[in-house]
Amino acid sequence: MHKVLYFSDEALLAGIRNEEEAALAYLYKQHYPMILHFVQNNNGTDDEAKDIYQEAVIVFYEKVKDQNLELNCQIKTYLYSICRRLWLKRLALKNRFAGMITDSDTFIQVDEEVAELEENELKFKKMGEALVLLGEPCKTLIEDFYIQDLTMQSITEKFGYTNADNTKNQKYKCLMRLKKLFFTLYKTEISSS
Amino acid sequence: MRKIETYHWIERYLAGELTGEELSNFELRLKTDQALAEQLEQFREVTDTLHFYGQRKSLQQKLNTIHAQSFEPQPKKVITPFGNKEKRQIFWNQHYATIAVAASVALLTVFGTLFSIDLWRSMGKQQAARYSALRREVEKIKNSQRAINRAITGNETKSLPKAEYDPGNFSGTGFAISADGYLVTSYHVVSGADSVFIQNSSGQQYKVKNIYRDQAHDLAILKIADDNFPGFGTLPYGVKASESDLGERVYTLGYPREDMVFGEGSLSSRTGFEGDTTSYQISIPVNPGNSGGPLLDNQGNLIGVISGKQLDLQGAAFAVKSAYLKQLVEQLSLDSVESPIKLAKSNQLAGASRTRQLKKLEDYVFIIKVYNN
Repeated sequence: MHKVLYFSDEALLAGIRNEEEAALAYLYKQHYPMILHFVQNNNGTDDEAKDIYQEAVIVFYEKVKDQNLELNCQIKTYLYSICRRLWLKRLALKNRFAGMITDSDTFIQVDEEVAELEENELKFKKMGEALVLLGEPCKTLIEDFYIQDLTMQSITEKFGYTNADNTKNQKYKCLMRLKKLFFTLYKTEISSS
Repeated sequence: MRKIETYHWIERYLAGELTGEELSNFELRLKTDQALAEQLEQFREVTDTLHFYGQRKSLQQKLNTIHAQSFEPQPKKVITPFGNKEKRQIFWNQHYATIAVAASVALLTVFGTLFSIDLWRSMGKQQAARYSALRREVEKIKNSQRAINRAITGNETKSLPKAEYDPGNFSGTGFAISADGYLVTSYHVVSGADSVFIQNSSGQQYKVKNIYRDQAHDLAILKIADDNFPGFGTLPYGVKASESDLGERVYTLGYPREDMVFGEGSLSSRTGFEGDTTSYQISIPVNPGNSGGPLLDNQGNLIGVISGKQLDLQGAAFAVKSAYLKQLVEQLSLDSVESPIKLAKSNQLAGASRTRQLKKLEDYVFIIKVYNN
């Protein structure tokens, strides 16, 4: 990891857009202590702080990369606001929310972001579950093709199928099953919540 | 078969592989065929979600790595006693100047402290040295006498081979207190002695056998152990038990040099050095060698034993009161000595003139020679 300093938010954003690893690391390291402090001050543990902070950073990162972030405050404030909302929700779930939390920073309204974030989080979770339910070798096959972007040829070799058509057939069956699993899981979750 | 066909079409359409006629045909079918459109939508959602899932998964992993590297305790490295050599070298190059300064400051502090403690102590010693015990260091005097001789004659004196005569390391004065060979002197004269001899004014020398010491009152009692020793006979003076009066005329006989010296003065205080009630202050000029000499009053009573003087005062000498001598003798008679010491009681000097007193006295005052090699 290179020790690169990003002196301004703009430089940091540019770095993230260019997919610089150092920029991500810098972003992560810079603001974690603040969130840790906040969570610890509000009945939370280190692990919980890490969880919600990572969620917030992921959202931020994805948004920056997709160029659909209209940031009209500091990165710090943005992250803090997201974490704050997430933490409030968690506290509510844990039934420990006494209606008061100690704020350590200014924050902005992030309802929209959080709603989107939650939807994405749900999708992510359900896809994970669906993949697990799919089982091997389908899981690896689907992951190789759609996530690792391997070619049909290399997948055929890896799995020892006789030809690419066979692989295609296999992939088709797997994808159909995955589709079914995913939509079942996802839809039931949406209707139940 | 039908389904897999459709799936291939959809896949190719989404990948942008359809062109020209095929593309327009497919798009036409999409508009008319509701089920196909729905299938396409579902397919798109699943693949998009898969992409999203993959990206997020890798991002999560990255963040976990970052977190682990930055905020979690690293597994402990094996610690070598002084780090590795290169690091030591770098550290030394960077900081040798500072280290040198720190070391010299430390050295300076240590030695400065030691030096000042020493200085302070020696100042304390100087204070203690205000009181000076009066035993004579013979060797010192001998050397200085030689130096004087040399200076006068201008050449190394080839001193004639004298009869072998060793004056001893230290000397003081002592006097008899009983007819059968007991003498008194100061404790500091005989402290640390290997052997002690006494010599009277006529040069007769006897060896001393036993020494009884009383450090608290600076007194020592000697016993002559010589077969040729005939005994002192009747002593001319008596030991006075009561305290003497202020202003009384007193005198002493002693050996501050090889010959007997008479000193006279008066009793100037009932207490001694720093208010010591066991001794008198007297105004007799005394010198090293006078220690242990008898202090007598006009009537020839023994009233004390010369012990020392104060350096920063003029004419302030001290003598231990005779009452403590008497006390010591009585104690010795009880437990240490074979036969009780009989102190002389009768005083044959009363009324005699000073010169007659001295004549009688001088046979009973001795030079004490101390050898402690």
